[in-house]
Amino acid sequence: MADLEIRNLHVRTEEREILRGVDLSVSRGEIHALMGPNGSGKSTLANTLLGHPAYEITEGSIFFAGQDITEAEPHERARAGLFLAFQYPVAIPGVSVANFLRMAINAQSEEPIAMKEFRQRLERAVELLDVERTFTSRHLNEGFSGGEKKRAEILQLAVLRPTLAVLDETDSGLDIDALRTVAEGVDRLHAEHGLGVLIITHYQRILHYVTPHFVHVMLDGRIVLEGGVELVERLEREGYDQIRQEVGAGA
Amino acid sequence: MPEDRARPKPGTSREATLNHALAGAGAADGRSLEELREAALAFYEAAEPPVWRRSGFWTTSLRDLDLASLEPRHADPQAGIPAVVAEAIGERPRGGLLVQRGATVVHCQLDEGLAAAGVVLCPLEQAAREHPELFARYYLRSLTYDRDKLEAANAALWSGGAFLYVPDGVRVEHPFQLAYTIDAGQSAQYAHTLAIGGAGAEFRLQEYDVAGPIEGQALHAGAFELYLEDGARCRLAHYSDWGPGEVFDVSKAVVSVGRDAYCHWLPALLGGHLTRQHLELAVREPGGDMAFRGLFFTEGTEHLDLFGVDLHETGPSGGDVHWRGAATGHSRASFEGLIQIAPGAQQTHTYLQIHSMMLSPEAKIDAIPSVLVAADDVSASHGGTVGELDETAIFYMQSRGLTRPQAVRVIIEGFFEPLIGELEDEALEELVRERIAGKLQAAEDDIRAYAASR
Repeated sequence: MADLEIRNLHVRTEEREILRGVDLSVSRGEIHALMGPNGSGKSTLANTLLGHPAYEITEGSIFFAGQDITEAEPHERARAGLFLAFQYPVAIPGVSVANFLRMAINAQSEEPIAMKEFRQRLERAVELLDVERTFTSRHLNEGFSGGEKKRAEILQLAVLRPTLAVLDETDSGLDIDALRTVAEGVDRLHAEHGLGVLIITHYQRILHYVTPHFVHVMLDGRIVLEGGVELVERLEREGYDQIRQEVGAGA
Repeated sequence: MPEDRARPKPGTSREATLNHALAGAGAADGRSLEELREAALAFYEAAEPPVWRRSGFWTTSLRDLDLASLEPRHADPQAGIPAVVAEAIGERPRGGLLVQRGATVVHCQLDEGLAAAGVVLCPLEQAAREHPELFARYYLRSLTYDRDKLEAANAALWSGGAFLYVPDGVRVEHPFQLAYTIDAGQSAQYAHTLAIGGAGAEFRLQEYDVAGPIEGQALHAGAFELYLEDGARCRLAHYSDWGPGEVFDVSKAVVSVGRDAYCHWLPALLGGHLTRQHLELAVREPGGDMAFRGLFFTEGTEHLDLFGVDLHETGPSGGDVHWRGAATGHSRASFEGLIQIAPGAQQTHTYLQIHSMMLSPEAKIDAIPSVLVAADDVSASHGGTVGELDETAIFYMQSRGLTRPQAVRVIIEGFFEPLIGELEDEALEELVRERIAGKLQAAEDDIRAYAASR
């Protein structure tokens, strides 16, 4: 069994059904890209994986690390080793990046982390993401620019060390330098810690810096096409409309 | 015509509000303590229990208080410091400590070096005898006894009390701590604090009003006066938690800021069956400056009615008022903040902000800013927010491994933290944080139900 197994997942909000039977498997050490146009259901999948209360699973299941987490609370999924880098990270007033991370680590483990070890982890993450040292004493996401928020997400990923990370549109709103830094950070976490990654994006930019082993294309709440990195180039050439026509014709 | 038509409709009459600044009104007027007690007693006996009504939609009434059944309880002067006080004041370095239990001061201790420098900390009764000049100059200089029955009761019946005098130019590193505690039902505590900072004095003062569980009703009618002379600086904090018993707290506190003096005042109101407080911070001389902070958190069926005044009698002067409050359960909290600038108080700059956080569908917080300005070269403005728990933020934190209650705690602490941090006193900060955390824990189901209902 893969580390993350999504089986026949159907998800709806109060208004409508968004995911209509998604199957997807991701394991440690693998990099997957989930691509699709706006509104295809990618962010719904990301939020559902972490247990967002606004999304209701009507059918199917999610297994992580061998456990059925379909009904698990968000914090239980995090403690099991899942991580979501948010598309729109929210501000947590009054809590510094460093304090928040220490809280999160301590929430995820039996013993509180030693101060020295925590500082070392934080230091390495600060270097990896190329941010000022003072960045970690600012209140989390409060007054952060779009790029700073995305860096802060990956910085948290580096400090928390989950087994599998879902990056929801982490590349949007980043200039080219920031994109490269963030992508290199992800690459290194993959190379050094065997992090499994599911990159969710609607364009190809980030995939020029992080090479996926598997590419999945989502349209209208289903994965309609799967392949290797060559799919990225094809999408670049042909666009989603072409694929929609083919899939539509084949169905 | 129906009877209620005869009363002013909500909001149609300014007379409907009973909240007025004391604005320097003092009762003393050269009279002796005995004369003042006598006059106050006469007023007390003639007056009806007060009702505070504001424009018809908010009422604080003492009709459920059986005043006749309550009596001052005198403790054994050797009774020592009760646990509820010891826990609040902590083990820490301090300039001095005075503890009153019921109607009796049971502990008074002052740092020897400070005593040698002329600092005085003693029961107010003792100060009236041993420091008659200071007592006559300051006692009831800015407080009255004839605005309502409870302040009359205090002026007539107070016993024990606290007196602090920090002479000119004396700087004190560690805080002075005062504590009033009630440990029996059917008792009334008439507490009176008089504190004076001489010219250029610098000190910190903390008053703790606390009780554990009590059977039956109890009353704390408190009076607090602090006078800061030219250039004096004081960080003042009130910590109030009357516990789960049926304690009524009806108190008035006035701080007078002299020429070029400064006061940072932070009352933290964290528990009490019914609380009605008038808190007034007045800049009386040019160059005075102040920061008026405050926080409250009501739970269960608590009722909290606060009237805070930012008064400027002369200019140039500065003011900065910032309050935050939260409510759970069926509790009710009201904070009316008044900026009042007297005629001629030119070049006064002040700002009032009130932020509130609703944590239950049945709780209610009213935040009412008002501004009375009688000078033209001033700036006075106000702002505020009413918030609810941000579910997006809660999910964000949960996705990092925090449980829902942990995430709620982070949000509420973050909400209060800008003020808690301003206490600049680690022990007191921790006490406030722990108390807030305890309240959140008690209201966990309530908060969850509220989230589910939205």
